[in-house]
Amino acid sequence: MLNKTFIYPILFSLLLISCLSSTVYGQMPSPVQEETVALINGTVYTVSGGIINNGTVVFKDGKITAVGTDVDIPDDARIEDVGGRYLYPAMIHSGTYLGLMEIFRVREATDVRELGEINPNVRVEVAFNAASRHIPLARSHGIAVAVVTPAGGIISGMAAAMLTDGWVWEDMVYHAPAAMVINWPSMRNVEERDRAIGKLNEAFYKARRYHKAKLASSMYYHATDVRWEAMIPVLEGDVPVIINASEYRQIQSAIEWAEKEDLQIILSGVNQAGMVIPHLKEKEIPVIVNSVFSGPSRQWEPYDQSLSLPKKLHEANIRFAISGEASAANTIRLPNHAAAAVAYGLPENEALKSITLYPAQIFGIDNRMGSIEKGKDASIIIADGNLLHLSTQIKQVYIKGRKTDMKDQHRLFYEMYMEKYEKYERMK
Amino acid sequence: MIGIIKFSAILLFISCNVAMAQTSHIMGLRDNTPEVFAFVDARIFVTSGDIIHNGTLVIRDGIIEDVGEEVKIPDDAWIYDLNGKTIYPAFIEFYSDIGLPHKAYIDKTDIGATDLPQEYKELLFKLLAASFREADQKGAFHWNRQVRSWYDAARHFGYDEKKAADMRSKGFSAAHTIPPLGIFKGLTAMVSLGKGSLNELIIRSNVAQALSFEKTKELGNRYPASLMGTISLIRQTFYDAEWYLEAHNEYHENPHGLKKPEKNLALASLIEAAYGKQPVIFSVDDEIALLRTINIADEFGLNLWIKGSGKEYRRLDLIKDADFPLIVPLDFPQKPDTDNFEKTIELSLEQLMHWELAPENPARIYQNGAAMVLTSAGTKNDKEFLKNLRLAVEKGLPEYAALDALTINPAQLLQIDQTHGTLGKGKKADFIIACGNIFESGTKIEEVWIGGKKYPADKPPELTAQGKWQLIISDTIDYKLELKGKVGAYEGKLISDSHEIEMKNVIFDKQRINFLAKDVFDLRDGIIRMSAQVSEKFMYGTGEMPSGKIFNWRAERIAEPDVEEESGEDKKDEKEVLKALSPILYPPMEYGVSEIPEQSGCLLVKNATLWTQSPKGIIEKGDMLVRNGKISEVGIDIGIPPNCIVIDAAGKHVTPGLIDPHLHTSIAGGANETGSVITSETRIRDVLNPNNIWIYRLLAGGLTAANILHGSANPIGGQDAVIKMRWGGLVDDMIFQEAKPGLKIALGENVKGLQKRYPDTRMGTEQIIRDAFQAALDYQTERDEKQRYGLPHRKDLQLEALLEVLEGKRIVHAHAYRHDEMIMLIRIAEDFGFKITSFEHTVEGYKIAGVLREHGAAAIVWTDWSSFKMEAYDAIIYNARLLSEQGVLTSLHSDNTRLATRMHWEAGKIAGTGVNEIEAMNMVTLNPAKILGVDHVVGSLEKGKHADFVIWNEHPLNGFAYAEQTWVDGRKYFDRKQDRKTLREVLKLKNDLTDKVQESD
Repeated sequence: MLNKTFIYPILFSLLLISCLSSTVYGQMPSPVQEETVALINGTVYTVSGGIINNGTVVFKDGKITAVGTDVDIPDDARIEDVGGRYLYPAMIHSGTYLGLMEIFRVREATDVRELGEINPNVRVEVAFNAASRHIPLARSHGIAVAVVTPAGGIISGMAAAMLTDGWVWEDMVYHAPAAMVINWPSMRNVEERDRAIGKLNEAFYKARRYHKAKLASSMYYHATDVRWEAMIPVLEGDVPVIINASEYRQIQSAIEWAEKEDLQIILSGVNQAGMVIPHLKEKEIPVIVNSVFSGPSRQWEPYDQSLSLPKKLHEANIRFAISGEASAANTIRLPNHAAAAVAYGLPENEALKSITLYPAQIFGIDNRMGSIEKGKDASIIIADGNLLHLSTQIKQVYIKGRKTDMKDQHRLFYEMYMEKYEKYERMK
Repeated sequence: MIGIIKFSAILLFISCNVAMAQTSHIMGLRDNTPEVFAFVDARIFVTSGDIIHNGTLVIRDGIIEDVGEEVKIPDDAWIYDLNGKTIYPAFIEFYSDIGLPHKAYIDKTDIGATDLPQEYKELLFKLLAASFREADQKGAFHWNRQVRSWYDAARHFGYDEKKAADMRSKGFSAAHTIPPLGIFKGLTAMVSLGKGSLNELIIRSNVAQALSFEKTKELGNRYPASLMGTISLIRQTFYDAEWYLEAHNEYHENPHGLKKPEKNLALASLIEAAYGKQPVIFSVDDEIALLRTINIADEFGLNLWIKGSGKEYRRLDLIKDADFPLIVPLDFPQKPDTDNFEKTIELSLEQLMHWELAPENPARIYQNGAAMVLTSAGTKNDKEFLKNLRLAVEKGLPEYAALDALTINPAQLLQIDQTHGTLGKGKKADFIIACGNIFESGTKIEEVWIGGKKYPADKPPELTAQGKWQLIISDTIDYKLELKGKVGAYEGKLISDSHEIEMKNVIFDKQRINFLAKDVFDLRDGIIRMSAQVSEKFMYGTGEMPSGKIFNWRAERIAEPDVEEESGEDKKDEKEVLKALSPILYPPMEYGVSEIPEQSGCLLVKNATLWTQSPKGIIEKGDMLVRNGKISEVGIDIGIPPNCIVIDAAGKHVTPGLIDPHLHTSIAGGANETGSVITSETRIRDVLNPNNIWIYRLLAGGLTAANILHGSANPIGGQDAVIKMRWGGLVDDMIFQEAKPGLKIALGENVKGLQKRYPDTRMGTEQIIRDAFQAALDYQTERDEKQRYGLPHRKDLQLEALLEVLEGKRIVHAHAYRHDEMIMLIRIAEDFGFKITSFEHTVEGYKIAGVLREHGAAAIVWTDWSSFKMEAYDAIIYNARLLSEQGVLTSLHSDNTRLATRMHWEAGKIAGTGVNEIEAMNMVTLNPAKILGVDHVVGSLEKGKHADFVIWNEHPLNGFAYAEQTWVDGRKYFDRKQDRKTLREVLKLKNDLTDKVQESD
């Protein structure tokens, strides 16, 4: 057996080498997958098809080519023995300002809210700062795709699903537009409610007139209106609408409106969705729950009102995704929200789906994301434990087959200062 | 033009009161109408217990000459036969501000009524406003304009007929008037509500000093901006008043070589109150505020009067042995809005319970045995006052007690019982004449007599012409007249056996009626015009025939008008004495408890995974024995002692109760005193509010203790309060006695961000903190070397707290994000010889772990808060890990009430950054306990420590765990099973009460 005094210096110098090689760069986007990779000896949480012990996952050109226990590994494959670790599909964050907001309270460092109330034409991807510190953090914590949403006004703009690995935004657009974002007006003040809903109706009315005129094969020329032009895919049903609504009256009002407008909607926020479950069920409206930690709205409500919402949605068989807070710096809390829902009654596998497969389905990217399945992107997490357990550490993230750099700014600072202490300020 | 302004100004400020003082000259003829009256055949309440059933009351020149059954009526007396009506002593209002200005300065509406052209009005306003403001700023008053202890109600009292009439209609003849402005509002006065010269109306001046917890913004001064600042200002001012007397006495004895103590009219006016010689009256808005005033009164030995909140029933124990009188309001809460689902769903049980219980408040206080005065303050009008008074009686307040509480009790307190409050011989002739028992609905107060003068209390019923009348014109004309409608909109018909003819242009002006009719009285072709004087039974009129002939006519009433029944005043046969559905809960809201959970003498938790957070580590299948609230044994296979409650915790995890060392929950009136830069005088414990549902929710998350801190607006903030989550307790119950007192310091963006205030940079922040501690040192020197000025030492609460830091009696918790400012503060501390016990947030702590370790400062950090502002940009999730690895005592915190309900998950996240699980658990248990100086009693499961622990359904750090039970001091404060049961009860009671509201009048 090795003596402790002997092994420490070795470990230390190994650490130093790894530090030196990474401090210089770090947070580096990874190159496109060139070699075939086979992850072997993994506990594979496929999400869609159960758990495979001692499983192998093979991927090539960014796509999974084989999953299972009895898998032919191509000769040219680089074999990575994960030693029994857990493999999960990479997570999808269903609503964040990642890339748009660097520092919340510094105006110059945020680009989430355009002026005006009707902004269907603005699209987040063009303002997505690929060099944001928060992106490598999301990536190293297992989020491969983040649905980035604009905010403010009545129609905020177009959300986009963005990859968390890449040099510039153009390389990182995963699915855009992913949805048009509407903020449902507050129902507390009747005048303001009617004004805002009126404005929303007017926007749709004008967009429909524009659409009709544009489609018409008449001899008349119609100049472009960038707002209504942007709404055409929404009107044609190609792009869904995310409606942010949290109070029960807002949710009811939004459902009624969407039916009238014949729109495919996704409800987001939904703090009080527990009060309108039958409506959601009847209309088969998917929801994004970002309020697990928001606490009860009323003094008499039980303390676990919001914590147990996902359980209620699941029991009512409503399609839902769990999302974390929108704050760009806090995307890594995503699995914490799902875990909390488990504590308050949501089955574990459902919690896992709510941050992988379900958001993929809701945003129509489930042919590429959401589970470990042949043909899907090789976006895979290798973790040392249950992904939902808070103490679990993610050891490696693959995104579209690329082995990503696990060094984020947090890790870099940690190593930089540890190096300082080891080199210059050894503890007495 | 100037002349006009001057003239108007004089008009404005000379009251139009023409009544004469006894000393004034008489202009014109004297009025010598005799003022002698006898009221016979009356039921007379001389006092509540001395009732004359068929008596006579004789008054002469405003004084009661005689009262009794066999009274000789003087032959010069004017006699009123009351026909069995009832005479009560007139009521005395204890809490009003009648006749005193509500505004510190004049505003434009004050001159709106003058006839000047607009531009002159503007000019006049400017001149007057400026002169007022200037006048208010001149003179040797207090530096803080909220301190108006010099303000004397008797000097500023003006006659206000509208308010006086309103109060008379409620049955009051005299009122205690309290200046409405400022925190120290000034000296109160007792005034009569009759008409007369101001000299006569003032019964007593300098009655009491009035205080308020709410400042008047328009008076100015940024400080205080919070309730805790207000309480500090009150305390400091009382200390100053004491000092003021001592300093002046000493100086007066021998001024030689002494620095002259300042002249301060505000402090001079406060001396009597400060020494308990003059009562001090506070108005409070709940039972917690009541305790706050008691604390202040106890500190200074004040003679306390409290105008209550109407919520005293919640904590009758507080007033059981009270040595202060309680003035109990009758302004019961309005009916909660239960009109529809969208309203009822937003109602809290707390609101509904208070609505139901508030009318029982006077009865419950009475039964509890406390002396009581009732006040009409806050009731909208006489109807509401009488309705609520009767409701209080209906709920069980005896009538005699109600009468005493409105008459003799206030008279005695206000020291006017020699003349007021009863109807004995020689007393002032202030009484009420009512048509029956005033405590029964339907009874009207008909007259109020004040000083022997009559004031009609009730408006006489208005004359109506409605009804049927028999016209009497001539023998041949037999017509009836029928009138309907209201004043201004009458309609009517003239009816004979064969005809019914509409009257036109019917106008009735309460005395005279005018109308015309066509083709009436068999006069086929023409209009007849008629008018008459109307009385209750007759009309006497004149008319004009179509021919032009004038005639006289008469009418006799043959049917009464339809009388509208007055609603809501129906007599109830059965008294609803204390029949509320609502239980008394502590705190008075949903999830409150009827009693504090019992502390079992012996409790054994068996077969648990015990996270001891001690050298014993994690004990699988461990047992923990608790006796009388303390842990007495931790180990394996502990035998079950006799009479011991056993909890089988097989498969469960048990940890010490979680501790959050940085929270701002349950602070009333603002967590920041932003009115000043150095606010070490403020104390969180003064403003803790235990009536907060989140305390329960924190327990549900396994949190058992927390440090409640002043916010981070000031370089030096306030004094903290470490509490235990003893749900249902009062402030004193919640205080964690063993904790070290602490002081908040704050650095960085929050401190420098405030509106044009020094400091505006981190440079200035350093200087102002240094300056403050230097001031504390100077203060110490001055205190210890009294000879310097020779005057008595003036206690300065702000510097006392800083001195406690320098003397090591108070620890420092410093809010800091950046590493530079942490080093800066450590150097200040070193220079002054004290320690920074902990940095709060410590966002860049990882950059200077060595410095923190060497100083011995602990780091209180977040798990993953980052980039919400500039100074949080370098936050890293490995901060806690690195600090801990580098030997810095590290704790997690929430700084956020909701986050504080899940600190076990925060610890789990820290484990996820590579910290071992026991150390991660330490960061929410033992380490914060160490920082707060309570690790000798909590923070781990060890023999002798408090039995504060949580039973979790599973591994507390893995993310799937919730608290099943939370225990504090060996008492089970939270139990998830009980919570589900309570939830059902809450919903049921809320529903029942909502129905009750709906069914009530």
